[in-house]
Amino acid sequence: MSLMKIFLVEDSIPYAKFLSYHLGLNPDNEVEHFSDAKSFLAQLHRGPDCVLLDYSLPDSTGIQVLKRIKAQQPDLPILIVSGQEDVGTAVDLLREGAYDYIVKDENAKDRIWKALNNIRENAQLRKELDVLREEVNLKYDFSNIIGGSPGIKKVFKLIEKASQTNINVSITGETGTGKELVAKAIHYNSRFRNKPLVSINIAAIPAELLESELFGHEKGAFTGAASKRIGKFEEADGGTIFLDEIGEMDINLQAKLLRVLQEKEVTRLGSNRPLKFNARVLVATHRDLKEEVRLGKFREDLYYRLLGLPIELPPLRERAGDIMMLAKHFLNEFIKDNGFSAIRISPEAQQRILSYPWPGNVRELKAVMELAAVLSDNGVLEEKDLNFNSVSDEIDTLVSEGLSLKEYNRRLIEHFLRKNDNNVVEVAKKLEIGKSTLYRMLKNNEIKIN
Amino acid sequence: MSDKVYDLAQLEELGGGDAEFVSMMVMTFLEHTPGQLEELKNAHGSGDLATMGAIAHKIKPNVDMFGISAIVQDIRDLEQMGKNGISNAETAEKLDKVDKELTIAFEQLKQL
Repeated sequence: MSLMKIFLVEDSIPYAKFLSYHLGLNPDNEVEHFSDAKSFLAQLHRGPDCVLLDYSLPDSTGIQVLKRIKAQQPDLPILIVSGQEDVGTAVDLLREGAYDYIVKDENAKDRIWKALNNIRENAQLRKELDVLREEVNLKYDFSNIIGGSPGIKKVFKLIEKASQTNINVSITGETGTGKELVAKAIHYNSRFRNKPLVSINIAAIPAELLESELFGHEKGAFTGAASKRIGKFEEADGGTIFLDEIGEMDINLQAKLLRVLQEKEVTRLGSNRPLKFNARVLVATHRDLKEEVRLGKFREDLYYRLLGLPIELPPLRERAGDIMMLAKHFLNEFIKDNGFSAIRISPEAQQRILSYPWPGNVRELKAVMELAAVLSDNGVLEEKDLNFNSVSDEIDTLVSEGLSLKEYNRRLIEHFLRKNDNNVVEVAKKLEIGKSTLYRMLKNNEIKIN
Repeated sequence: MSDKVYDLAQLEELGGGDAEFVSMMVMTFLEHTPGQLEELKNAHGSGDLATMGAIAHKIKPNVDMFGISAIVQDIRDLEQMGKNGISNAETAEKLDKVDKELTIAFEQLKQL
């Protein structure tokens, strides 16, 4: 806010002039004076940024006027300026929503000045927050999810339905199909959009730490719990919690999660006081949860509790009509972000893009197009610029770099983590190393999760 | 001329050397406060103590702003007496003091 429109309601003309002069010392303040409640209320629709209201007016009391303002403009900050110090009245006024209660003494003008500065700063922060929220909402508006194939159109419809209610949603699909993007689209198009969206990747957290991550802990609850910490469920209160890779959750913790979801309350580790929470739950997995239930790896009761509205994301190879549209979109975004000149895709490169099976789905397509944009010459993206991220290609490149064994290990493990949605258990299995080794390396920052 | 019963230090500080501001405040004070003083006396005279308290309440910040220190407490007492419906010899005495001090202040400020 640059100019602050202040309505000063004060029947003492000398005092009104005194305050008007004082507040006018800041050129960003525009003060308009009213001598009674009636003339002020008639002009309230003109939208002041703040009201300085004398408690004793000839035609009304401060509390009556305050109630009328709040009924029309509940968020308008109102500073009550009163000729007398009366704690009871002050408490009543603050309870009714007054911003502050200031007594007309020798410090009044300075307190008013300070309060107005706070109001100005808060308004500025609120404005910035609104702009950021709007940007996030636009970013995750589902018109921004690219595609027109029947499979993705069905997904749009389901996202829209999910956004209109608070039903739990389970999102399934192969790695790289955009499960997290769908979760964000649901949250940012729902009525919870101005509340937190808290995401946690179950596969990326060591099982022994996951419980405290989700439900929080009290100081001293276990060795290393040096201070109190609130969990993800508490953090998400009023908004949405997104549990990514839910299929990787340890069976014992599944029982605790089920109880939390049934009771709608969490108990921090080391505490016996349950805390109510109200958060919408979205889950995602690349696994077939029904099959996991059949194999006894996932609790059936939890499965049904979480299932809610199931959204299955089609793999890219089944979205034939979308592949080129997405490829061009990623290419153009990259060009825009990096200030490149326009790049066209040669017919041979187009053919190669369309014939490739895209095992890494949309995520892989994006990476391939960005690299191709960098490698292309003369504004044309040729087939030779397309480097598909198969493991063997990457390993060949890696070997040619002549790194130390430790560095090779790091690069290899990070590669597998990326390929497997940071699923530590899966990567440990594939590389035939202990998952505790991986957790230790993560903890010691020897490897990093992207 | 007797000693000044007012002190413009607060207004001068706020004005930061702006003599025009101080002069404007003095004129506004002289324009409104004598009328309020008359209303105060009339309310007391007619036994309308609630109005007396309300007017004392309105005069109070002006007394503070113009540093009329001799009656800072008396104007507050009149406000409370009015609110509590008290009218006795002390009320009359305080009203008389406020009347005299303000009248002197009006005269002195007119000379500025």
